[in-house]
Amino acid sequence: MWRQPWGYKEGWAICIGLFITGAVLQLTAGKVDPTLFRYPLNAITGGLFLFFLIMVYIASRKAAALQWFYSLTASITSLTAWMVLVIIMGLTRQVAPSVTVTHGGLLPGLGFMQMTLSWPFMLLFLYFLSVLGLVTIRKVAHFRKKDIPFILNHAGLFITLLAAILGNGDLQRMRMTVPLEQPEWRATDETGEMKELPLAIELKSFTIDEYPPKLLAIDNTTGNALPENNPENMLVEETPLSGSLLDWEVEVIRSLPMAACVHGKDTVNFVEFHSEGATSAVFVRVRNKKDGVEKSGWVSCGSFMFPYVSLQLNDEISLVMPGREPKRFASEVSVYTQDKKQADALIEVNKPFSIAGWKIYQLSYDETKGKWSTVSVFELVRDPWLPVVYAGILMLLLGSVCLFIQAPGNKEEEAAANDTKTE
Amino acid sequence: MDWSHFIYFALPSVICWTIGAAMAYRTNKPGQVIGWTVAGLAIFMAFIVGMWMSLERPPLRTMGETRLWYSFFLPVAGIITYIRWRYKWILSFSTVLSFVFICINLFKPEIHNKTLMPALQSPWFAPHVIVYMFAYAMLGAAAIVAVYLLIRSWKRPIDRKVMSLCDNLVYVGTAFLTIGMLFGALWAKEAWGHYWSWDPKETWAAATWLGNLLYIHFRLHRYKLYKVALGLLVFAFVLLQVCWFGVNYLPSAQENSVHVYNME
Repeated sequence: MWRQPWGYKEGWAICIGLFITGAVLQLTAGKVDPTLFRYPLNAITGGLFLFFLIMVYIASRKAAALQWFYSLTASITSLTAWMVLVIIMGLTRQVAPSVTVTHGGLLPGLGFMQMTLSWPFMLLFLYFLSVLGLVTIRKVAHFRKKDIPFILNHAGLFITLLAAILGNGDLQRMRMTVPLEQPEWRATDETGEMKELPLAIELKSFTIDEYPPKLLAIDNTTGNALPENNPENMLVEETPLSGSLLDWEVEVIRSLPMAACVHGKDTVNFVEFHSEGATSAVFVRVRNKKDGVEKSGWVSCGSFMFPYVSLQLNDEISLVMPGREPKRFASEVSVYTQDKKQADALIEVNKPFSIAGWKIYQLSYDETKGKWSTVSVFELVRDPWLPVVYAGILMLLLGSVCLFIQAPGNKEEEAAANDTKTE
Repeated sequence: MDWSHFIYFALPSVICWTIGAAMAYRTNKPGQVIGWTVAGLAIFMAFIVGMWMSLERPPLRTMGETRLWYSFFLPVAGIITYIRWRYKWILSFSTVLSFVFICINLFKPEIHNKTLMPALQSPWFAPHVIVYMFAYAMLGAAAIVAVYLLIRSWKRPIDRKVMSLCDNLVYVGTAFLTIGMLFGALWAKEAWGHYWSWDPKETWAAATWLGNLLYIHFRLHRYKLYKVALGLLVFAFVLLQVCWFGVNYLPSAQENSVHVYNME
């Protein structure tokens, strides 16, 4: 081992060595702190890293031992080592980066419950990235036109990963809860700390469109939807409507999308109600297909003002209406920046609004009040490295298209030549 | 149009594909082979379009719906491979596989939910899942060829030409896997605020992707170690299975995955 030329044995040994180093660092120094690398430190580190890789490449022309680091053997072993950690990560329950894992044991001890912040993961990732970088630099240095797909794929991945890891320190994700008509500029970060932002949001209006109500049957004792594991439901789109759930024929006689509950002495009734707190209610008649038992009554999902009402079908089963699912929620806002600019926007899920380097996302609302919520919750994200990541992604996309078009066909000769070269 | 109509489209499609597959062995007229296969695909697509219209959203959310696309893309992958490399048997193979997935949807239909949560209402949704399903179809085909070759290798040595078929399928599959993953990243930036968040499904997608890259690089390096390469191919497909539906059952993914919505 370690005699030139290197092969797989040395490759695995390097990976295992890095893993052990990482484990020791993890046990002694704790997890990696990604916030250490803020601008300009991350940019400098990135520059030094690139410079280091280029130097290694230049030195490798003289020092044959370094040539191993851009060989297929190095690529395969470093890729495998990193993949193994990704698989372990997939099998281990992950906790948020901001949480401190206190309990002992092997997995938490090695940092595997916060894999992306663990030293073994970080070191093997950096090793993989270095090999990828060297492979790319070598191809760029010997540029030939037919290498374009190769360069697009390798450089694209290298740029994406490098920018993603460096940009992590500058990434800001803030959560802002904005009440109606009161401009807000304070937001909380991932650790729950309140900060003032260079922009303010004023909520003009908040609307939720909901899907039509659904009916389903639940087990009276467990509350689980039936049939267990594969629940059936009935969407009440228009009345009159009939359908069946389990052994019951269900007929919706009346549907009130905006209703209020009126309690009689021992009856429950619903009437139309177009104001804050309105709920949905349907009047149904059901008939059991087996024994012909008939029942009728109101079913409602309730709201923060009105109780939820179910219809008991028999000792085991009840008919219920779960809370209506939101189809779309949107906030009409005005955004003010520090340089006294104002912009009006409609922010929805999947339709964020960009201003002054920030992207504003519709995140949530007051869920206890549902469609009557008077607050809107936004997420504000600032990621100055995004354009670099996107440049890498674009290269990778083009590279993939090349991979598809340029049928690999029959690579026998080329590969056979490789085989003899490395053996 | 709903699942009760499925059989009236699926059966004629399978019949067309079977005729096309049989033609591939008998005639030297690729036009007929392609014609029958495309006819089957058109019938199948008519059902998908019908579902799309009646659901008022793309049928991509539940497992049954993704199986629908899988059954569609297997013959697509088959016919592309046939047109490009003229393997006679590939269409019989894709037809049988597609038939299996059609049967699952026929005999174990799931109750399909019409609602689509706001985060999934995005122009990225359809391309993300469709591209992925096509990649899965390609890589699934490659994995089954690999298993077949490994079993047969007890008796017969592995043929170089079939190995290069595996390479072709993996290259095309990996290209689509990459595109699907990157579309997912671009979408995630618009919907969830960040392009990659190590959500359990993303973690397994990364593992699957690396698994396929491993196969590609190993083939470039140790060309003659067929069995090891095929083993890697099968391994990468196991990762893909975990990514596709295994995550729904993994305890590590129960609480915090944005991708575990398709079980309802």
